[in-house]
Amino acid sequence: MIPLIVAVLPWGILVGAYGVESGLSPVETQALSLVVFAGTSQLVAIGMLQAGAGVASILLTTLLITARHLLYSMAMRNQVKNLPLRWRTALGFLLTDELFVNSPQTQTFDKWYALGGGLSFYIAWNIATLAGIIAGASIPNLTTIGLDFAVVATFVAILIPMIKSASVFICVGVAMAISIYCEVQGIQAGLLIAIISGMISGYLIYSMKRKEL
Amino acid sequence: MYWILLILMAMIVFASRYLFLEPKLPLKLNDKVLRLLSYSAPAVLAAVIGPLVLIHDGELNLNPLNPYLVGAIAAIILMLLTRSTLITAILSMGLFLYIN
Repeated sequence: MIPLIVAVLPWGILVGAYGVESGLSPVETQALSLVVFAGTSQLVAIGMLQAGAGVASILLTTLLITARHLLYSMAMRNQVKNLPLRWRTALGFLLTDELFVNSPQTQTFDKWYALGGGLSFYIAWNIATLAGIIAGASIPNLTTIGLDFAVVATFVAILIPMIKSASVFICVGVAMAISIYCEVQGIQAGLLIAIISGMISGYLIYSMKRKEL
Repeated sequence: MYWILLILMAMIVFASRYLFLEPKLPLKLNDKVLRLLSYSAPAVLAAVIGPLVLIHDGELNLNPLNPYLVGAIAAIILMLLTRSTLITAILSMGLFLYIN
């Protein structure tokens, strides 16, 4: 979890600085991190507000970007569905990319570990947003120095040990290529399309090797 | 208006995170679906990393000296050598900030 908290900090600073730079008030910017708690959706919504987009189009975009979380809740269903409502609500609210890739979808799932990790990300995310709001007011160009590389560095570090088979390797290659293609084409659901394509590719390679197809 | 948007966004995000955690939802996941879902974590990571590394200002940047690309390759090598996510993250971020 700790490397991911390190990554959340620059990413949160970026969101905070970008919010105030784009004309939101400090309270409005912080409220996004407190209530929505979804980095990519926050960045895109701020950008669209600045560009004068309407509420309906921002909400539709949010839905497309956030739809990948449906996959996370499905993958964690067997571990979480029998917990009491307060646990499900808390873990659901905290279910970010970072928490998901850090939570084993197996017997070793530990609700306290997941809650601790999720809360750590939430607190770090909000402190970093606040730092970005404050720093963004005094340091120009804070949003262009490459704070988003923190996400690359940590996600690479988490991804490498996961690539233990040809099927995962293919999954990663396909997801990456399609995600890049969709981004160049400006397809808002690109992340979701790329993830599903990667999953299906990995699954097909696995099945072919097992001669199940 | 802003606050209504914020609440609606929060509801959409929470609903997508919570939906399949709800036990009343009639859904049984068989072994094939679970196998398929086991690929979701690497797929998510790859799909997030790709555009961050190779797309800047909406355009593909395949320059081998692109600092994001150099930093990402450094992170891959560091991870294979050290097997430590923390060392990898901090050193590759340091390298990136130095060359960017």
